[in-house]
Amino acid sequence: MNREEVKSEFKAHLITYLNLLDITPDQIKDDEPLFDGDLGLDSIDSVELIVLLDREYGIKIINPTEGRQILIDVNTIVDHIVLNRVK
Amino acid sequence: MYLKDLSSVSPQVTYTEEFINGDYIIYSKNILSVIEPSYSEIIPASLLRRMGKAVRMGIGAALPLIERNEKINGIVMGTANGGLENCINFLNQIIEYDEGVLTPTHFVQSTPNALAGQLALMSKNTGYNVTHVNGPLAFENAILDAMMFLEGASNKTSLLLGAVEEISNYNYNIDLIAGRYKLENIANNDLITSQTNGSICGEGATMFIVSNDANDALAKIINLKQINFPNQIDLEQLLNQFLIENDLIPDDIDLLILGNNGDVQFDSWYVLLRSCFPANMEYVYYKNFVGEFRTNSAFALFFATQLLNGRFHNHKGIQGNFRNTPKTILIYNQFEGIHHSFILVQSPEPE
Repeated sequence: MNREEVKSEFKAHLITYLNLLDITPDQIKDDEPLFDGDLGLDSIDSVELIVLLDREYGIKIINPTEGRQILIDVNTIVDHIVLNRVK
Repeated sequence: MYLKDLSSVSPQVTYTEEFINGDYIIYSKNILSVIEPSYSEIIPASLLRRMGKAVRMGIGAALPLIERNEKINGIVMGTANGGLENCINFLNQIIEYDEGVLTPTHFVQSTPNALAGQLALMSKNTGYNVTHVNGPLAFENAILDAMMFLEGASNKTSLLLGAVEEISNYNYNIDLIAGRYKLENIANNDLITSQTNGSICGEGATMFIVSNDANDALAKIINLKQINFPNQIDLEQLLNQFLIENDLIPDDIDLLILGNNGDVQFDSWYVLLRSCFPANMEYVYYKNFVGEFRTNSAFALFFATQLLNGRFHNHKGIQGNFRNTPKTILIYNQFEGIHHSFILVQSPEPE
C-alpha cells in the first residue's frame, strides 16, 4: 500500500472512529490541524485516535510527548503509520 | 406535584402535534423504533457525533422543554438500561480486543446517567441531578424522587423529569430468546388482541417539567404506588389501600390507562385490575402506540396528560372504551407479572 492509499484508508478510519457526521474523506485536508481546526477534535478524540492507530496499524503511542508530535494533522499521522505500522 | 410541560420522542410522531392530532403509524414488524426529530438544528454537531441513541433522543425530547422553561432547579431521570447499544459495544470490545485499549466514547455514553449529565452540561444546570435505574420501575422511582424533592423545596421549584429507553439489536435478540417478544410478526394495532406469548419491542424518551406551583399546570400527579412479586390478592389489597389513601373509591376514577402488551402470559393482571372497577369503567391502552419497554409508563403519563386536556377524542389509533374527557386517571402497568405500579393523575382544577 503506497502513502496515498494509506492516507485514504486513514481518513476513512478517522471518519468511522470519530463518527464525523456529514464529512467525507475529501473534505479532510492533509495539512489541517486536527485539533483547533475545522474538525474541532478534542481530548477524547485524541484517545480515540490512539486506539485507532493501535487497532488498525498495531502502533502504540505511549509517550505523551511523542503523541503530540504525531497527532498534528493527517500528514504527520500517515508519515508515522508508513514508518511504524506492524499490520 | 404539578405537570407543567411535556415532550416525547417515540415510535409515533410525538415531538410535533402530528400524533396528538390523529396521525398514527402502523408498524408491520415487531420492532418499533423512534421517529427522531432533526437533531442537527438543536444539538451541536461536535456533541451529536458522540451521542448514543438514548442520549440523543433524550436530549431531543428535553431540549424543547429546557428552552421553553427557563427556571429548572434539577434533573431527575429514570432508565432501566440507559445507552444499551454503547454498553454492549463496549463490553464486546473488551473481548474483541483482548482486554486491550478501549475507546472512551462507548463507555461514557453507556452509563445510565449520561443523559442527565449531558442535559446538565447543555443547560448549565448545576442543581439536583439523579438518575434512577430500578428496572421496569425506574420511572416510577424518578417520579417519587421528584415528588419528595418538590415537597421539601421552596415555592415555584421546577424539575425536569423524564425517562428514556433504547432498543439494542443485541439485547432484542437476547430478550427474543427469553420469550419477551413474539416470534410471529404482528402489527402494533393488533397487539392488544393478540393471543400469543410475548410482546413487541419499543423505545422512546418522554420528558416533563414538574413543579410545586399550580399555575398553568396541565395535570397533577396525585400519588403513585409500586409493588414487586405480588399475588393477585396482594394487588387487589394494594389498589384498595391506594384508593383509600387518596380519599377515592373506584367510582371516582374516570379512566384507566392500562399497560396491556399483548402477552397472554401476563395480560390477565389487567383483567384482574379492571374487575376491581365498575363494569362500565372507561379504559384505554397505550402500548399499541409505542410497544413494550421498561420505562414506557412515562409515555402513559404523557398520554394521560393529553387525555386530561381534552385531546385524543376521535383519534383513530385509540383502543379501549373511551368517550368522555376524564378528570381523574389511574395508570396501571406491570412487567411480566413481577413489577407493578399505579400512578394517579388528575386535571389540575382548583380543589
